[in-house]
Amino acid sequence: MLETRKLTKDFKGLRAVNDLELNVSAEEIVGIIGPNGAGKTTVFNLITGFLQPTRGEILFMGENIGGLKPHAIAKLGITRTFQLDRIFHEFTVLENVAVASHLHAGIGFWEAAFNTPQYRKKDGDTDKYAAKILQLVGMDDKMDEIAGNLSHGHQKLLGIAIGLAANPKLLLLDEPLAGMNPTEVTRALEIISEIRKQGIAVLLIEHNMRAVMSICDRLVVLNFGEEIAKGSPDEVKNNRQVIQAYLGIGEHAA
Amino acid sequence: MKSGKKLSYFFLIVVVLILPVFIKSEYYLHILILCAINIILASSLRAIATVGQVSLGHAGFMGIGAYTSAILSMKYGLSTYEALFAGGLAAMVLAALIAYPVMRVRTVYFSMLTMFLGQVVTLVITEWRGMTGGTSGLLNIPHLGTIPVLGRFSIGFSTRLPNLYFVLILMIVILLFLYGIDRSYIGKTFKAIAQDDSLAASAGINVARYRALVFCIGCFFAGLAGSFYAHYMGVITPDSFDLFISIYLLIYTVVGGSKKFAGAVVGPLVLTLIPEVSRVLKEYQPFVFVAVLYGVVFFLPGGLAYLLERMSIRIGAILQRGIKANA
Repeated sequence: MLETRKLTKDFKGLRAVNDLELNVSAEEIVGIIGPNGAGKTTVFNLITGFLQPTRGEILFMGENIGGLKPHAIAKLGITRTFQLDRIFHEFTVLENVAVASHLHAGIGFWEAAFNTPQYRKKDGDTDKYAAKILQLVGMDDKMDEIAGNLSHGHQKLLGIAIGLAANPKLLLLDEPLAGMNPTEVTRALEIISEIRKQGIAVLLIEHNMRAVMSICDRLVVLNFGEEIAKGSPDEVKNNRQVIQAYLGIGEHAA
Repeated sequence: MKSGKKLSYFFLIVVVLILPVFIKSEYYLHILILCAINIILASSLRAIATVGQVSLGHAGFMGIGAYTSAILSMKYGLSTYEALFAGGLAAMVLAALIAYPVMRVRTVYFSMLTMFLGQVVTLVITEWRGMTGGTSGLLNIPHLGTIPVLGRFSIGFSTRLPNLYFVLILMIVILLFLYGIDRSYIGKTFKAIAQDDSLAASAGINVARYRALVFCIGCFFAGLAGSFYAHYMGVITPDSFDLFISIYLLIYTVVGGSKKFAGAVVGPLVLTLIPEVSRVLKEYQPFVFVAVLYGVVFFLPGGLAYLLERMSIRIGAILQRGIKANA
């Protein structure tokens, strides 16, 4: 579904991503791991159009999406979450998801401005659609709360719900578990599995190794912008280069 | 919207439309006309601000409307109503032409760029003497054309009252339109962009297009307000559209409360009425502005609209208690 060919990004002499060949198939959960500064988030920014690659191609469903703007890529079916709690803080939980869903509701400018009956119907449908997504992440009991007042864990889940609202085929999660307590992590992992069951592929960056190993079908390990290993969690776990990159030379695997 | 709320808006509109009949003073009619113009300007400025962009060139777009309409009706023989609409259109076309580069810059850079644009507009008006009359401005701009009613009667615009009614109706239509947008998903999208534009983009929202859209809408209404101003006053000079006016418009929306739609109505209403009604204060207008601005910023961070909202909630509660007590 997603394929990168010799994807490379330079920042003023620093090569953040080097000749990366990444692929994600439908309904697959792929993890990107690696030490801080390995270029993981840069890969996300390249795939979603927030950064333009220096070299290389990004193919999505066989189409080259390099050079497209983020909103256009979202429309094609790739959405993302951000590392920090990026949500619309002033909106209610429902509004957060609804505003991200509206683009797919096919509402015209004039019918909205004049509040026509058709608009009200479509608007109501959008709210129902958003409520269903909130149910998926287990937040349908918090729909009317102001998003800024939510706990950190709930803000993270809301971020995922916003990502799902645009009805993606591939969802990119940037450290979805960061700062969560063990209970929240378990819950979030269940939600990610549920997302896959809905037919959405997931590409995720995460530092929580136990969680990554348990949920991902395949892993890609980056270090200094280069792929140093890939394969099933078990293969990666026992890879010498990975152990060295993570733990330093001479130590044993965790 | 709840039907009770709808009903109260309806009554408010009726009251606004009936009230002028009882005003005998020509001076107060004039003040109310200026009030309505300022409300149109402040509301359209606030609409642009909902995407997180503060324009400091709004008066410039008003000026484009005013001069376009005046020149077209005086020198090119357009009817005043065609010219009025053309004034709004001219402001919108300019907004659309510059929207793409302008909307790529954000926050303070956007303010600086629009400020510069507004100044360029006044500069061009001042220097293009053959067309605009330079610093002495344009004189004898025709009043709005007479509207025939049922063949026998007609409405002329040489006196104040018909002008007030014209601008009030214009204002109500514009406010209803802007409110319609603000309340719908379009307004929500604007506010989402203001809160986090990358997140909005990653959800598939075309940020640049929405920003350009609201900029064009806002500038169209600013141009329309300017056009009406020209035909009403009969005289326009470049200094009616300079940076100071843009800053005043901004103060109106801040004092009214920029988060609330009503803020851009209450702010200009209060700030136009206070110094004008108490005429002794007229020379001290800038001081009154600063005093009110500071008062609001320190004691009412949400603006006058929040005060109004709290008051209406309290009055509603008292009324309900009264009803219960009587029952």
